[in-house]
Amino acid sequence: MSVLEGKELRIIGFLCNWCSYGGADTAGVGRFAQPTDLRIIKLPCTGRINPLFVVRAFLNGADGVLVSGCHPRDCHYTEGNFYARRRLEVLRALLPVMGIDPARFEYTWVSASEGQRWRTVVEKFTEQVHGLGPIPAFNSGTCLDACLSTAISSAPAHAAIGETHGLST
Amino acid sequence: MASRLEELKAAVRKALPDLDVVIAWAAGPNSLEHTPLFITSEAEIDLMTWDPRCSQNLAGYLPGLRGKKVGIVAKGCDARSITELLQEKLIDRGQLTIFGLHCQGAADPEKIRAVAGCGNEVESAEIADGKLTIVSRKGTCAIGLENGLLAKCFRCTGADAQPCDQFIGEHGAPPALTDAPETALDRLEAMGMEERFRFWEEQMSQCIRCYACRSACPLCVCQDHCAAQSREPHWVDQTDHPREKLMFQAMHALHTAGRCTECGECERACPVGLPIMTMKLALNRQIKTLFDYEAGIDPEKTPPLFQFRETEEHIKERKW
Amino acid sequence: MGAARYMEKDALPAWLEAVGKSRLVLAPRLQGKSTAFLPFDPSKGVSLKGLATASPKHALIPRHETLMEYQYTKTDQIPPRTGLEVRELIPDQPVLVFGARPCDARGFTVLDRVYDAGAKRDIYYCARRDKTVVATLACTEPADTCFCTRVGGGPDDATGSDIMVTELDQRYILEAVTPRGEAFLLEQQLPDASEFAAKAQACRDAVRAAMPEGESLLDAPDKVEALFNEMPFWDEIAAKCLSCGACSYLCPTCYCFNITDEPKGNKGVRVRSWDNCMSFQFTLEGSGHNPRATKSHRMRNRVGHKFCYYPTLHGGALSCVGCGRCIAHCPVSMDIRSIVSKALVYEKAPKEHTNV
Repeated sequence: MSVLEGKELRIIGFLCNWCSYGGADTAGVGRFAQPTDLRIIKLPCTGRINPLFVVRAFLNGADGVLVSGCHPRDCHYTEGNFYARRRLEVLRALLPVMGIDPARFEYTWVSASEGQRWRTVVEKFTEQVHGLGPIPAFNSGTCLDACLSTAISSAPAHAAIGETHGLST
Repeated sequence: MASRLEELKAAVRKALPDLDVVIAWAAGPNSLEHTPLFITSEAEIDLMTWDPRCSQNLAGYLPGLRGKKVGIVAKGCDARSITELLQEKLIDRGQLTIFGLHCQGAADPEKIRAVAGCGNEVESAEIADGKLTIVSRKGTCAIGLENGLLAKCFRCTGADAQPCDQFIGEHGAPPALTDAPETALDRLEAMGMEERFRFWEEQMSQCIRCYACRSACPLCVCQDHCAAQSREPHWVDQTDHPREKLMFQAMHALHTAGRCTECGECERACPVGLPIMTMKLALNRQIKTLFDYEAGIDPEKTPPLFQFRETEEHIKERKW
Repeated sequence: MGAARYMEKDALPAWLEAVGKSRLVLAPRLQGKSTAFLPFDPSKGVSLKGLATASPKHALIPRHETLMEYQYTKTDQIPPRTGLEVRELIPDQPVLVFGARPCDARGFTVLDRVYDAGAKRDIYYCARRDKTVVATLACTEPADTCFCTRVGGGPDDATGSDIMVTELDQRYILEAVTPRGEAFLLEQQLPDASEFAAKAQACRDAVRAAMPEGESLLDAPDKVEALFNEMPFWDEIAAKCLSCGACSYLCPTCYCFNITDEPKGNKGVRVRSWDNCMSFQFTLEGSGHNPRATKSHRMRNRVGHKFCYYPTLHGGALSCVGCGRCIAHCPVSMDIRSIVSKALVYEKAPKEHTNV
């Protein structure tokens, strides 16, 4: 069990390989202390990000999602972040309608040399997410079929697994 | 209405020899709904109908018929779908013959049954002079047509089919409707975040994941190869959990962002009456704010998510 | 009919609540804009008017069913090996389905012939079926999409029911149809209704007599089979179909399923879920070949299954019970009645002779 269990929230970061991942590296090399809630997923470019990655992360239980890429006009692939900017701005309108607090999602631009800026982003965003607390979980009892399967036979189990379905949020 | 139908039939009769098929409407299985009709022979022209019960958006059939010479009868909202398909180059204008009509609203059979109190035993129905007269086992009742229309009609942006090759009848304004019914989006806006989440959890527990919403959408051209049904990548799983169904709704909304013309077919098709249009309405509002754009109006425009600007007028970067 | 009991109509919710202490009670209730068979909730009541939007078949075949849970584990051996733990989840819950209609109950027998067939008993299905009591509410008014009498059923048909419930003035008369129903009724603290049985029967007879006339579809199997290769017929029929799945999922007799493993890291579940033959993926093979690649082929399969293949395999019993849900809820108003009627009279175009 992690030392930080119960103190950390789950924040997923989608970072572009060239600028933002480099920026995060720079922050690391500079030994900047920052919260450890953020789990990074590296992509070639923010233009690769399907806004549905963000939605799926939230529905799977992520408490916050951060997207970070090159500054507009500095995209390693020239135009990827221009598309990302449009897509993610549109996504921002969908989240509150679904009941996901829009403050749980941020997208930002951090270049490879901006280690200090990266640290600031991570600190502020983590604080922002902590201010909102854990994301509401689904009540799996809503699922009708769960009602139909509640009583489980007393046939010998090969091994108990613990959570029903192994898919709890 | 009656004379317009004859005019429409005459126009179709004249055009049919040069076309592979004409898509129109015919009388349906009960007196409250009509059904699509695929006309390939002159005899079938007599089966055509045209009245507010012609609710289905026939534009959805067009991408599948690409390469053929197709005639299509269209209401105002249907023509917006055709325009969007043209914008996305999913159909060819040269292969289409559009018979445009002025629409006075599309009937909602569920609403009619509820308002008229005639239950599920309708024997016949007639529409004349803005009134819908229903004969059922319980007797005869009449309601004003405006009380039996689909919710989308209250948001009509144009009742006349544009573009079209032949316009049948008189041009007119959208039906004058007041007292728009409260939408789910209105209700959500009055709720807090968690309450909204619970709302969707409850709605999605009713969903049977039949994909009628997707199949009825005229813009969903991936149909047989929909991302929601792929195992690789595995976007949604096969469990009946509201999480998966809500994910699918988000997928549908985002895949139609900047493309949806609010034809309302998704919501009309849902067999359990879920507010499928909600997310799409919210995204369309955002698209309008960010890009001053509405889908399906100008056949020459490129949808906003297919392009970008170096400087976006309405997108402000967050300060850290 | 066996034992008979009655209750006042307004005593129904309290009785369902009492039964709910020892069984899961599934009864139709309003849910948003639709009516669904859901666990009885005293605060939400029941809605017994008309036909529920979806059938109660999920009582026996849930929309998804976890067949087993699995987990990969590391053993203590050196070098460590990966072990697999599996746990089956066999349902074990007594259920009362109250308020099914005769078409719904008849639908259960269609499922029985496939899932509980002599030597072949589907463990999961039978575990539910053996513990489910079906109390069917006889119909009083047909909807304009009902056609049970054209497919061998009727508003009073007791096939597939354990108990038949008839509305008589301000009362419900409950009559046992099967030994399971009888055993259940005898456990209930309800007054005897033998004196009302004749009246209840007369009530049901009157409703049947008042059903609208309609051409029987029982002779469909041969006619539908004859059209197997007649693609122009199916092309015309299927032109407007959207290939969604509303018809299959609402249908009381559609029983096809998919089995998938849904993993999450080292754990997962094996799930059986509803599948639908109107979908392109239904017969899509690993090679990419698809024997039912077009809507026409899939519509032919749907109609063929219900009105030809199933009856051929099961002594003439149609796999359609005439509930009309597919007609009422199809987004493009497809009507299986008119499809089969057309098949019954279809004249094939004369074939030209060729040397091939």
